[in-house]
Amino acid sequence: MKRNLLAIALATTALSGAAQAAELRMSWWGGDSRHAATQEALKICGAKHGHTIKPEFTGWSGHYEKLTTQIAGGTEADIMQVNWPWLSIYSADGTGLADLHELSDTIDLSNWDADQIEAGSMKGKLNGLPISTTGRLFVFNKTTFEKAGLELPTTWDDLLAAGPVFQEKLGDDYYPFEAAKLDAALIMTLYGTQATGKPLIDPETNKLAWTKDELINAIEFYQKLVDNHVIMSWKDVAAAGNVRLHENPNWSNGKIAGTYQWDSTYFKISDPLADGQELVYTDLLSQDGQKTPGIYRKASMVFSISANSPNKEAAAQVVNCLLNESEGVAALGSTRGVPASMAARTQLLDAGAIKQIQIDAQARVINAEGPAIHPMMEFPDVRSAMQDNLELFAYGEVDAATAADEMIYAIEEALEDIAS
Amino acid sequence: MGGDSKYLGLWYVAPYVLGLLLFTGFPFVASFYLSFTDYDLLSSPEWVGTANYEKLFTRDRTFDKSLRVTLTYVFTTVPLKLVFALFIAVVLNYRLKGINFFRTAYYVPSILGGSIAIAVLWRYIFADTGLMNMIITMLGGEPINWFGDPDNALFTITLLRIWQFGSAMVIFLAALQSVDKSLYEAAAIDGAGPWQTFRNITLPLITPVIFFNLIMQTVQAFQEFNGPYIITEGGPLKSTYLLPLYIYDEAFKSFDMGYASAISWVLFAIIMVLTLIAFWSSKKWVYYAGDKRS
Repeated sequence: MKRNLLAIALATTALSGAAQAAELRMSWWGGDSRHAATQEALKICGAKHGHTIKPEFTGWSGHYEKLTTQIAGGTEADIMQVNWPWLSIYSADGTGLADLHELSDTIDLSNWDADQIEAGSMKGKLNGLPISTTGRLFVFNKTTFEKAGLELPTTWDDLLAAGPVFQEKLGDDYYPFEAAKLDAALIMTLYGTQATGKPLIDPETNKLAWTKDELINAIEFYQKLVDNHVIMSWKDVAAAGNVRLHENPNWSNGKIAGTYQWDSTYFKISDPLADGQELVYTDLLSQDGQKTPGIYRKASMVFSISANSPNKEAAAQVVNCLLNESEGVAALGSTRGVPASMAARTQLLDAGAIKQIQIDAQARVINAEGPAIHPMMEFPDVRSAMQDNLELFAYGEVDAATAADEMIYAIEEALEDIAS
Repeated sequence: MGGDSKYLGLWYVAPYVLGLLLFTGFPFVASFYLSFTDYDLLSSPEWVGTANYEKLFTRDRTFDKSLRVTLTYVFTTVPLKLVFALFIAVVLNYRLKGINFFRTAYYVPSILGGSIAIAVLWRYIFADTGLMNMIITMLGGEPINWFGDPDNALFTITLLRIWQFGSAMVIFLAALQSVDKSLYEAAAIDGAGPWQTFRNITLPLITPVIFFNLIMQTVQAFQEFNGPYIITEGGPLKSTYLLPLYIYDEAFKSFDMGYASAISWVLFAIIMVLTLIAFWSSKKWVYYAGDKRS
């Protein structure tokens, strides 16, 4: 009798399919608003599909290190929010993460177009579903610009002219823009991309695409911004310690009135602002004779499922709920930017759940032109090569030509290391 | 267990020994092997011989800079901290009213010291608009760029470490209290002043504890991570980029575990050599009870 009961139990288990009630883990990075919304969405999707999902969330700092270590040790969460450039690190041959094509009975992939599916694929295997598309945009504090009696800039020359006006009308501690560390390196990259029409790293050849003179021109532009009181010097920014823009009191009180950020970070940079201040996104600033507007656009992040997960089917149900089903979509809202999933985007637009400013920003990102971005641009060694040498130049330790030489050497070394 | 009683002690220490072997012994040996490999964590280690060490000693300017910063940090922090801890311990050794409160209060920074929260607090105190500059400005001085100026940043990090003098102080205090009081009485009868008493009686008798604190503080200073990571992230211009930060970046940002292991072993060798020098020199200046030297 006992044996019969056991057989029945086993048969029932087998027939119930892989997506029976499962205990899952999901990891992501973000700010407070994203953390709160995602936890709520996980409760709702878990209840709907009969799973329990343990949230594991952090800020941006350190998340890459944590996730990579987990993947190396095989202890990663079942569902992961992954930065798009990391796909080529975790799954160069497409097998490091689950192939979501194999779960397409559960996840409705028809909500993404072919380009988006391609962006999340490695060697033909769909390793990550794009959550949103993002790009670096200029965003200005309109309130402060009005105090200075200025229109928002549309060209670099406008911005350069705004610096002295800020200083004269508002005081030495008011700046129309900010750029240090990564932001400074990306401003330098944008300026050079516009001038040359080429990305810093050629996606076709994996080589540095700029000449030394082109790089010098971009590096010197950074100094021009400092000299014209457009941005604080690197040294003055560092005086606050290791503080991010959204934690900086000069940003929240409007003394820094502009920045160049991912459009998906709208809440992160707008939440800390003091009452009565208005942020406005603009098109990319332009320069005379530019060859491209130079938009830096990419899939902002993707949801991936662990290749080691014993509950892939259940994880797929949760991913589908978060990205395509009305309950999950409503709970997540636009805390990861304007959704890439057509179903989610339509739902949130109809419900008025996406702020007009986010819709406008997203349109600017989608409509702007620029060369394709190489994922290696976001590899830590490449970023260090750019930032460290720009910092040496900013502190006056080296001239622009030496900084360019060192940058070229360090980037080429990093690219060779990555290739090997 | 009757017949096995001679092995009973082994059972008692087994949990610790197992933990030591698994979580310290094995990584220690493995990191030595890995230092001769190219290992990115996601694929198998590949033997590269001494290539990591060659790069470290011949081409890596970041290592040179980081090593210089680390040695400056250690050779500044350790003596200052020991002198400060000893000074406070001597003060707290007097029988004053409410002395236990002060002893506890001075120990508190050491309990909190390793925490991230204190590093964040330090960042706020010394930021350009922080408490320290507010005080300096109120007193009529010019604000100081504590973190942004490469000449000041390491000093600011050093201050955090010195502020955490409590554990060294408590050990000094215990040593001071164990000095035989009759020696002080004899010195007083001979007409010795406070400085002479301290110089000729107290200091020689607590040299074993000074030696112990010197070794412990040196090893800990070489391993400092939280302060510079949270407060300056190693900047500006890598002026606070201590070797543990470099090891972390190579291991967990570049995922070059082989190279990170090589740096770790060089750091280990430096600590080992300095410790051996300290032990060797201790024969000349450390006095133990029952020592036959005069």
